[in-house]
Amino acid sequence: MKLKICGMKYQDNIEHVASLQPDYLGFIFYEDTPRHFDTKIPEISNTIKKVGVFVNEEISTVIEKVNEFNLQAIQLHGEESPYYCSILRSTELFSDPEPIEIIKVFSIKDEFNFAALDPYENTCDYYLFDTKGKLPGGNGYRFDWSLLNNYPSTKPFFLSGGIGLDQVDDIKKFKESEAYKYCYALDVNSKFEKEPGLKNISILREFINKLNDKKTMNYNVDEKGYYGEFGGAFIPEMLYPNVEELRQNYLKVMAEPDFQKEFNQLLKDYVGRPSPLYFAKRLSEKYNAKIYLKREDLNHTGAHKINNTIGQILMAKRLGKKRIIAETGAGQHGVATATVCALMGLECIVYMGEIDIARQAPNVARMKMLGAKVIPALSGSRTLKDATNEAIRDWINNPVNTHYIIGSAIGPHPYPDMVTKFQSVVSEEIKWQLKEQEGRENPDYVVACIGGGSNAAGTYYHYLHEPDVGIIAVEAAGLGVDSGESAATSVLGKEGIIHGCKTLLMQTKDGQITEPYSISAGLDYPGVGPMHAHLCKTGRAEFMSITDSEAMNAGLELCKLEGIIPAIESSHALAIFEQKTFKPDDVVVVSLSGRGDKDLENYIDYFKI
Amino acid sequence: MNRIQSKLKENKKLLSIYLTAGYPNIDDTVTIIQSLEKNGVDMIEIGLPFSDPLADGPTIQDSSTSALKNGMTTEVLFKQLKDIRKTVSIPLIIMGYFNPMFQYGVEAFCKKCQELGIDGLIIPDLPVDVYHNEYQAIFEKYGLINVFLITPQTSDERIRYIDSISNGFIYMVSSASTTGAQSGFGSEQTQYFERIAQMNLKNQQVIGFGISNNETFTQATQYAKGAIIGSAFVKYVTKNGTGSINKFVDTILG
Repeated sequence: MKLKICGMKYQDNIEHVASLQPDYLGFIFYEDTPRHFDTKIPEISNTIKKVGVFVNEEISTVIEKVNEFNLQAIQLHGEESPYYCSILRSTELFSDPEPIEIIKVFSIKDEFNFAALDPYENTCDYYLFDTKGKLPGGNGYRFDWSLLNNYPSTKPFFLSGGIGLDQVDDIKKFKESEAYKYCYALDVNSKFEKEPGLKNISILREFINKLNDKKTMNYNVDEKGYYGEFGGAFIPEMLYPNVEELRQNYLKVMAEPDFQKEFNQLLKDYVGRPSPLYFAKRLSEKYNAKIYLKREDLNHTGAHKINNTIGQILMAKRLGKKRIIAETGAGQHGVATATVCALMGLECIVYMGEIDIARQAPNVARMKMLGAKVIPALSGSRTLKDATNEAIRDWINNPVNTHYIIGSAIGPHPYPDMVTKFQSVVSEEIKWQLKEQEGRENPDYVVACIGGGSNAAGTYYHYLHEPDVGIIAVEAAGLGVDSGESAATSVLGKEGIIHGCKTLLMQTKDGQITEPYSISAGLDYPGVGPMHAHLCKTGRAEFMSITDSEAMNAGLELCKLEGIIPAIESSHALAIFEQKTFKPDDVVVVSLSGRGDKDLENYIDYFKI
Repeated sequence: MNRIQSKLKENKKLLSIYLTAGYPNIDDTVTIIQSLEKNGVDMIEIGLPFSDPLADGPTIQDSSTSALKNGMTTEVLFKQLKDIRKTVSIPLIIMGYFNPMFQYGVEAFCKKCQELGIDGLIIPDLPVDVYHNEYQAIFEKYGLINVFLITPQTSDERIRYIDSISNGFIYMVSSASTTGAQSGFGSEQTQYFERIAQMNLKNQQVIGFGISNNETFTQATQYAKGAIIGSAFVKYVTKNGTGSINKFVDTILG
């Protein structure tokens, strides 16, 4: 069965719809409809036939439009006579010598007299059966398809009228019926729109996949806690009750109206959300693309981390926990956790590698001022990975009264999903902010740096199933991917188990987890969250690696061009513009995940300021 | 019958000792195993060291870090154990984290264990349901007994489930803790020991975590078939080397 998608209007949208490879695209040349087509048709695959839809139009105008837009079919939606059809069929005024297809529409309400078809049997190629409504098409409801059981003709027809995603089962049933015998194509329109003329690509795609019984790729967590083959909960039995308690409750708690109210209120009044979506004019000029910065650096505590800690502290309170533990690398997540613990009056213990404590003194001081106890991780390499081990051990030793606030989209299920959902406010805002500024919700690309991947998860979340949005994940290459001093997990990592989940991680051949390196403490993690491992493996996201020096230069460039000092983590995301060329009208949203104050020491050392 | 199952049928309380392979020196593994058997230990857990042992406290983590520095790997351990069954007959269990086994290949790992005469595995971070759904058939094919942990927080229902898929013993973690954190048992623990004893499980239990001397060994084996000592033994060899293991065992057995 062929597919026709009708009521196309916007150039970008036409290209995106065409990428789904329908058989026909319909353009309505009738002025009294919001889907009236009045622009140009972009270059699309020649396997897709372009249909002009007309209502009682002058024949000369029809011929003009067919020639102007290189149409391969004409759909006649008015009271066009058989004679009218035969003229169009026989005229030699079309510039394309290939015969044009004529589709004559008949509208059906509660009944239909099939005798009306007789005069058209020899003057058109197809019939199209639509629901009788106020407008010629696009009315959004369907007629009783069983009427077609009495179809007397052998001419192939299009089935139209209010077909949507929820009719897939009906369509499958229809395929079994007598009436299906001469059904040539489905014609869809208004049920797949965000607004008249603007088609929703992801729903269309789902429809096509469902019709063909193709499983839609899911980038969200499944009911077992997996993203494709990654994720799960590989935890010692000692942690099972804690993690299980969280797993059973997190979705329920997050859905409670008073939880949402408190969460949203705090994000607004305490964190300062929504964070601006800023059009970076000078940066855009330099790189010849439309670059927007999602200003998570302007949040309270200076990074996206607080979105998650606010969510988790409210979760901990509702689960009756009195004691909060966290791990931290550079101290950003530690500060964000200490902050919310102070806000809620809960005891706070932060584990931090001994080496990191030495190199991040200001953040250690911040945490202490906020009332947290900072415990040095003295084992292993004495950095983030070991701080995480220590936090997990603390949790094993305190299974009842303690909640562990993991700072990234890592750890055993449900952590990656819970953290992602708390961070998803980022892409939720990008959608409406971009709509305000660009007139569309979907950018061409979203870009974020990835350590464990929480800011990236939040930036991508609402775009995961929007195929027209490219996802770019930027990893830290350290001194270079092949230097032995790197944190580019997608390149150097292999599937394995780290901190309770199956994901990509850097390890020896023998399965020992290795120490990553990056100038940015926030990206200096040997794994990535399981969702990102899945995005990498399925090719949904493009992974890029940025070295220390490329990131540092991009950070300094943003200072000079836009007056914003970014965190070194975020500078990695900004550095892709030197590597990748975008089209001038590409809208690229970069998550500016944190501000650079914490990195001043590094910038000073690096640039000898 | 698997050596673990035979051992569990013996009419005595069992002493099981954990050692970190390749520690204190890379070549100590076999010497320690032989010495433990000679001195009356009933069962041995050979710790395959891992870089990030989440369920272990500082003692075992440090010994693991040293062992890895000494050059211990899965391959090296298998080489060391090549002829172990020529001299040792008590049950041998490999205890380690899942990632190194996963990288070796779970089936290849199990096959190798069978060749060497290993009787069982303890993998703290391999969840019960993943084992049950994905790996049980492989373990059984190579005659390996997988030992699961339970803790004071494990629900009765889950204990029954674990009991149903076990065919050796159940490793009872004495308290909510990592290894080496406890120094004696209080009323909370004894209540837990009693509760489990009263469940009449199909599999016998062996208590671990917090057993370090004759007193705790006696207490634990009042309720369970046996007890496992890990950190206390690792500490002992750290301090005294491998020459006087008999003294350690004698102190425990009293």
